[in-house]
Amino acid sequence: MNTLKNILVLLGLSLVSGGAMAAGTDTQASADALVKKGAYLAKAADCVACHTTKKGKPFAGGVEFELPFGSLFSPNITPDVDTGIGAWTDDEFVSALQEGVGRDGKHYYPAFPYTSYSLMPRDEILAIKAYLFSLPAVKQAPIENTLSFPFNQRWGMFFWNALFLDNQRYEPDSKQSAEWNRGAYLVQGPGHCGECHTPRTIFQSLDKDQALAGAPIQGWQAYNISADPLYGIGAWSVEDLTHYMAKGYASGHGFAGGPMASVVEHSLSQLTPQDQKAIAVYLKSTPAHSSGIARATTDDLSARAVVVDDLGSKIFAEACAACHRWDGEGNQSPTAKLAGLKTVNDPAAANLLGVLLNGHSNMGSPVDQRMPNFAKGYNDQELAAVSSFVLKHFGQSGGVVTPEAVAERRKVKSH
Amino acid sequence: MHTLSINGNEQQVDVPGDMPLLWVLRDVLGMTGTKFGCGIAQCGVCTVHLDGKAVRSCVLPISSAVGHEISTIEAIGETEVGQKVQASWLEHEVVQCGYCQSGQIMSAVALLEKQPDADDAAIDAAMAGNLCRCATYTRIRAAIKSVSQA
Repeated sequence: MNTLKNILVLLGLSLVSGGAMAAGTDTQASADALVKKGAYLAKAADCVACHTTKKGKPFAGGVEFELPFGSLFSPNITPDVDTGIGAWTDDEFVSALQEGVGRDGKHYYPAFPYTSYSLMPRDEILAIKAYLFSLPAVKQAPIENTLSFPFNQRWGMFFWNALFLDNQRYEPDSKQSAEWNRGAYLVQGPGHCGECHTPRTIFQSLDKDQALAGAPIQGWQAYNISADPLYGIGAWSVEDLTHYMAKGYASGHGFAGGPMASVVEHSLSQLTPQDQKAIAVYLKSTPAHSSGIARATTDDLSARAVVVDDLGSKIFAEACAACHRWDGEGNQSPTAKLAGLKTVNDPAAANLLGVLLNGHSNMGSPVDQRMPNFAKGYNDQELAAVSSFVLKHFGQSGGVVTPEAVAERRKVKSH
Repeated sequence: MHTLSINGNEQQVDVPGDMPLLWVLRDVLGMTGTKFGCGIAQCGVCTVHLDGKAVRSCVLPISSAVGHEISTIEAIGETEVGQKVQASWLEHEVVQCGYCQSGQIMSAVALLEKQPDADDAAIDAAMAGNLCRCATYTRIRAAIKSVSQA
């Protein structure tokens, strides 16, 4: 009798534990799926760009944002309990992204793009949290901000938020396709494109009447990406746009340099082809704004006589023409094409100087898509001369670059 | 495996597609006439022809060279213009140390194939990206001009 009882108990136990194991596998599978979903959304939201320093551990923070009234430093968002977000509840994390208010009621500054992330639904935000919590905890205390009074008063953001934070989730437009809505959501929400590409008002809020019309960022120009054919991306095909997102360039339209190179590397190129296409479809439908930098016209470039007669043209001949060619068509690389770019038609030469001083030296990119930097090879006068020549030869802006402008541009730090 | 057409011959090379053509020429195929200088398309010594156009082989991934006709300094004496340039080079005693000369000749031939009557301005523009640290520039220009003005 005892034996039979024991057998029954054992059977029962094994049934229970078997059931528990099956349930455990299901829970594990759904947890894994959530982390995977969060990892993708974290890429779409490009969290890593602002929360990781050049030599630092991923998501451990410490990136400096220089503002006219002091510096902000991004916080540690690894799951470390003391220095990161390891002790945060779901509600606290959701509040940070949707309302710009973190643990203990601390208000964020809008360098953290919560006015965009606010469009994201709770479940997607919690997926990001699950992903971040799956990463190794890094003990790294956040760096104190150095803002001056009154900007160091976080409570002041309460009023700013009252004016400029909608705190509403994305509402699909039923008149548009699912693809368009997906693109609009990615651009306005997690992608937070407007944070750099939309001009700001005097209150530092995004100027919604000028959405995606272009703005300066860290010495670079985040170009107009509204649907205007001359000033924006209206003349790009959907394929040009998806190629740019996937590979970092669209020949004759643009090459992702400066901060945008990082966006492509960590975010846009990591998206699915369907999402890249959705973004392209949406961008091509946005209201056109004819402001900012216009594309250069390329009418007579190939017919124009080559004259090497001043410092600028001599430097172009020695250092640039071999790859870029006098007609700007690019000699052996689709990325070397200068004809038709905005970069050669910006009178302030923001991105032209940026690329001359920084190069495109990402070692992950193919050898024919790299450009050496000329910061040490040429002095301010020489870089001013060659930049002025490039503007005159390939563009119509009439811009002239001074050695002083080059000296100023050299001082801009990029992270 | 990639198939390259070099100087009229099909060559099979088993290397990564992002390997620069210069590496393939020198290290894989042993064609050392094309030189390595800076590796960043700033000096011109690695110049070869891709469909007749002068290109810098140090920054040309072979995946971009597949399906195109590659010519190197080894075969330049087999073309009419190449022979003229070689003869003119000897006549003017252009070469000093010689390291840059493969690239100089490749750029000169590409120019003269496209513009047989090239004048000083065209020569200066086409040859500007080819450095010569012995500064034989005046002799290079004179040698090209003897062909173009002949």
